[in-house]
Amino acid sequence: MSKGNGIKVIVSMIGLDGHTTGGEVVSMILRDAGFDVVYLGVNQTPKMIVEAAIQEDVDAIGISSHASNYSQIEELMDLVRKNDLSDVLVVCGGNIPRRQIERLTALGVAKVFTPGSAGSEIVEYLAANARRLVAQ
Amino acid sequence: MKRETDYGYEIKAVYSPEDIPGFEYQKDLGDPGSFPYTRGYHYQGYRSRMWTQRMTAGLGSSADANKVLKKYREMGQRGGMCVISDRVFSDCIDPDHPLGRREAGVLGWPGCSLLEFEELMQDIPLTGQSITLLGSCAPTCLRLAYIVALAEKRGIDPREVHGSCIESPFENYFGQTDAQPFDLNLKLFLDASEYVIRNKIRMRGNICSQHIQESGGNNAQALAFELSMYKELCGLLVNERGLDFDDVALVPYELQTIGMRFFEEIAKVRALRRMWARMAKEHFKAKKDKSCQLLIAVHTSGRAMTYQQPLNNIARCAIQSLAGALAGCTALDNATMDNAYAEPSALAARMSLNTQHIVAVETGVTDVVDPLAGSYFVEHLTNKVEEEAYKILHKIDELGGMIAAIKKGYIQETLRQEANLKFREVENKERLIVGVNHLAIPAEEDFEIPIQEVHTADSEAIAKRMEEWKKTRDQPLLTQRLTQLHAEAGKGDRFNLMPAIIEAVKAYATAGEVMGVIRKGRGLSYDPFNLIECPFVLQ
Repeated sequence: MSKGNGIKVIVSMIGLDGHTTGGEVVSMILRDAGFDVVYLGVNQTPKMIVEAAIQEDVDAIGISSHASNYSQIEELMDLVRKNDLSDVLVVCGGNIPRRQIERLTALGVAKVFTPGSAGSEIVEYLAANARRLVAQ
Repeated sequence: MKRETDYGYEIKAVYSPEDIPGFEYQKDLGDPGSFPYTRGYHYQGYRSRMWTQRMTAGLGSSADANKVLKKYREMGQRGGMCVISDRVFSDCIDPDHPLGRREAGVLGWPGCSLLEFEELMQDIPLTGQSITLLGSCAPTCLRLAYIVALAEKRGIDPREVHGSCIESPFENYFGQTDAQPFDLNLKLFLDASEYVIRNKIRMRGNICSQHIQESGGNNAQALAFELSMYKELCGLLVNERGLDFDDVALVPYELQTIGMRFFEEIAKVRALRRMWARMAKEHFKAKKDKSCQLLIAVHTSGRAMTYQQPLNNIARCAIQSLAGALAGCTALDNATMDNAYAEPSALAARMSLNTQHIVAVETGVTDVVDPLAGSYFVEHLTNKVEEEAYKILHKIDELGGMIAAIKKGYIQETLRQEANLKFREVENKERLIVGVNHLAIPAEEDFEIPIQEVHTADSEAIAKRMEEWKKTRDQPLLTQRLTQLHAEAGKGDRFNLMPAIIEAVKAYATAGEVMGVIRKGRGLSYDPFNLIECPFVLQ
């Protein structure tokens, strides 16, 4: 049952986006699957998320986005690169249009989970691709 | 597949007279226009007053939003306008704040000053239509101040303006969050409500269950939480602010979500009418009929608008709009097919407005008031959701009311569990959604609808403009007004800040500045994000 295997994941909203339901539901799914979830909540700047990722030594970052503030995610990817965290898996979830998905993927976001994505899909993907597993 | 209401009542295949035992028309329903108003408030229904048809607007700069509002008027939206704020204004920081400049105009109107409101309303009448400004509780005081200030500028008596600009302090516990602490939100809500009541300004307060449901709450919870919020807020206005309930009752209106479960949604609206009427009479001892008549605006569910196969959402919106009309809502703003992608495109907006027009003029639904009354199924459902809602309401009463229930975490935990339940129901295919977990097609085969693009350069432009414009204001007057406001903010919760806020707004103080000095006056930091300091020297 423990697909998560103690893999450490940040789940966070970004910028001024206050929509929390998606992030809260995913956090519960990941915790149930054995992941170690660091839930940052709201009002997290890209800088704060990266600092938390370094401090907590996470294997993956999951951004829950429902506020069209993609520039914030773009900034996050820039900071991820600048801080040598490119081996940390970054995924997004939310109502992100396809053209934005393409842009984000080009910047290094590994996967974007659109609305309707199954919980098992998110669990399987993170379990298979988060940093710790790759290092093994 | 579940054949249950979302609050767990199992639906039978057939309903008959035994399902409404002891049914008494006058006691349980009443004619439209008669207590307990289950059937509605006007005997002529939509023949005498059509529901207000509106679409939300707000994206990019105020000038952009102004263009959209004009376009909507051309499309037939003349009874009312509805503008939603961006996150920056909702948080009461300014576009030139370090966090504000990245998100100004994204997801809503950057309404941070009277100047922005003037631009939003250029060549648009303040009277003759309902003016609805939405977006978080604390900026209520600013939205109200803008309306009063602009009315004065245009030589209009503010009492001739009607609509809604007040939002409840409970807004942001249900799937959304707020930058201001609860006690400040509550105080500003009470101040604004007291101000409109004492000055007879017909601006209403949105105390809504929409957020509750859009973040997963079920119908019984929606009704229970809703009534509990009314009980608490109306109670405070009567007991703490010394107002008469019959005056207070003119302020709140409900914004309910209408989802896909057709009959259950109609039952929900009917039940709410009856429950409010009874609460007004029995709990608050209302003396006037109008006090027992809660305005119920309806928002077709954004949550129901799927990301996959967005054209299907046109059908969904039509079904929901029809439900809203059959339920007798007083205003309808429907979500658009592209809700899962972005703010409405012009095409999507026109589609949704047209949907309302089609329901209004082509179906005959508006010829008859509460046409489903007397249906064994619908009356049973109305009774059932009311019964379940009362159970939850009593539980909240036992906890000490809504504020206490939130402090104890009961509300948040309940909704968290419900959101998870709903998620799992879709995962397990207990609830089917076409295109999502039923008859899904590969993304490449999907029809691509036009999406409104977000241009990040626009945010910076809004920020820069505000930076420059701030320098052009009458600084001594501004400082004097903000100093006054700051001093009054330190006078405790009971001291109404609206007059001082209006004066500051007239001197073109911004949202960040007004809220900042209020916060300072209450011993908080100027900036809720602790990134900037107060730029004024307040004596």
